Amino acid sequence: MADPVETLARSEPSPTAPVRHLERKAALLLAFTTFLVAGSVLFLLHSRGAFEPTQQLVLVADDAEGVAIGMDMTFSGFPIGRVHTVELAEGGGKVHIVIDVPTKDAHWLRSSSVFTLVRGLVGGTTIKAYTGVPADPPLAAGAERPVLRGDATAELPQVLSNAKDVLANAAAITAQDGELRATLANLRELSERLKGRDADKVAAALDRANALLARLDGMTAKADAQVFGPDGVMKEARATVVQLNQLLADARTSLKKVDAVLTDAQGISANVRGATTDLGALRAEVDANLHKIEGMIDQLNRRWPFARDTEVKLP
Amino acid sequence: MIAAMTSTSWQDRVGTAGNAPLRWIAGWGRIVFFGASLLVLALSPATYSPETRRALLHHIYVDTAPVLAWFTTLAAFLTLVITRIVVVTALSYGLSQYALEMVIRVLVLELIPLTAALFIALRCTIPNGAAVAAMRRSGHFDALARAGRDPVVTQALPRALAGIYATVTLAALSCVVALVLAYLAVYGFTTAGIPSYTRVFGHVFTPAVSLVFVLKTLLFSLAVAIIPMASGLYDTEGDGSRESAALQGLVRMFAVLLVLEALSLAGNYY
Repeated sequence: MADPVETLARSEPSPTAPVRHLERKAALLLAFTTFLVAGSVLFLLHSRGAFEPTQQLVLVADDAEGVAIGMDMTFSGFPIGRVHTVELAEGGGKVHIVIDVPTKDAHWLRSSSVFTLVRGLVGGTTIKAYTGVPADPPLAAGAERPVLRGDATAELPQVLSNAKDVLANAAAITAQDGELRATLANLRELSERLKGRDADKVAAALDRANALLARLDGMTAKADAQVFGPDGVMKEARATVVQLNQLLADARTSLKKVDAVLTDAQGISANVRGATTDLGALRAEVDANLHKIEGMIDQLNRRWPFARDTEVKLP
Repeated sequence: MIAAMTSTSWQDRVGTAGNAPLRWIAGWGRIVFFGASLLVLALSPATYSPETRRALLHHIYVDTAPVLAWFTTLAAFLTLVITRIVVVTALSYGLSQYALEMVIRVLVLELIPLTAALFIALRCTIPNGAAVAAMRRSGHFDALARAGRDPVVTQALPRALAGIYATVTLAALSCVVALVLAYLAVYGFTTAGIPSYTRVFGHVFTPAVSLVFVLKTLLFSLAVAIIPMASGLYDTEGDGSRESAALQGLVRMFAVLLVLEALSLAGNYY
């Protein structure tokens, strides 16, 4: 039979041989475990906000459905508070949601801040704070504020009701005696009529239209021959253009001649202008002579005072 | 002590006289009685004689220190894999804001304490229970009793306490490692995510959840430490072999762990 002590040594996780510095190693291990557990507890307390000074904010709501202890209150997406308690207020059927706001985050909340309690279709209920005027006085500790409620699921009944109306309308339209069915029946009747009696007329109209198109085609061919053919209008038009060119050349020669005439005319007019200048001098002389004659007549009048008729007739 | 606990107790009389259900009840009664006795002994200062203290320190060290590194590595690997799976899945569904919370819940709250308990059971406490059974069967206990030393106090109690201690230490270290690795896997090597990570952690560990977590870890450690030891001391069922005692301890221990896990889930989520 094997030695029991040897058997034990083989069956246990480690041999029972003495460990060197056992007490020191075991003490280190115990200290390590204590440190781990104490550190975990401290971290847990820190994460729960146990070491953070807080102030309370009381939100007054009609209904606290979805609000859980410990849920966050966010400001611009950042959690700045935690629900501490939810309780029914004394009288009035209101609910008090008490929120712990860390003092370091409390400055985001002002006296004019608005609080909302939103319940989404997916995810939990959220409490949000909005501060419109950051310059307002800060929110006092223990302040009571109403909370605005928004519930995405609350609109579901209305949406369903509207959907029901739409479906009812669709059903009325497509009913046995509905308008859509009557319209479709009329359409069917029209198409059947077209298919029967009136189809011949349409075919005849198409035949005539085809004949008309054939005649139009012939007319176009003839017009083509007349315009662009060997004896067509285009050839004559080309000859006319040649003649026009000749005419234009003649006209150009005539114009040159006219230019020469005009040059002569300019010379003549210059002469006339010189003559006109001479006429001015002549007139000045005539005027001088007249003045002289007038002076002579005045002298004659003074010498011949008896004369009745003092007027001198000029030639 | 050993005489009071082994020979003339009511559980023995019921166990040997009754049929299968009665034997089953008697077996559980012995385990509960042994557990209570161990706890009383552990809380009594007179128990800690120099010999017991030396044995306790020895078992604490040899049961915990060699497996600490291996188990931490295993837990780190498990954490990385599960964090990756959860984060990628949550991202693909557009629910990434819940990924971190889910990682903490799945890993730290549920998986790691259970894994630590099972690891300690398979590595330490079940072989310890089998060794105690072998000692008792080989007459080592009687020899100790004749020498005036209580074998339960000098042999069983140090092994059980070491099992409890090893489970708690492994669970605590693995949880810390898992938390750090989950943070690194989600945020990378930056300190920017620490405030929000701390907040998520505080959000998950409400007072009720923390209490359930602590109770669960302690009860796991008690279960893996006491049940195999009790099975080793009272292996009157079966054919009396060491394998049978180990198997009985394993089955009973798994049953208790399952019940505890179910209770903790019910406590956390109902």
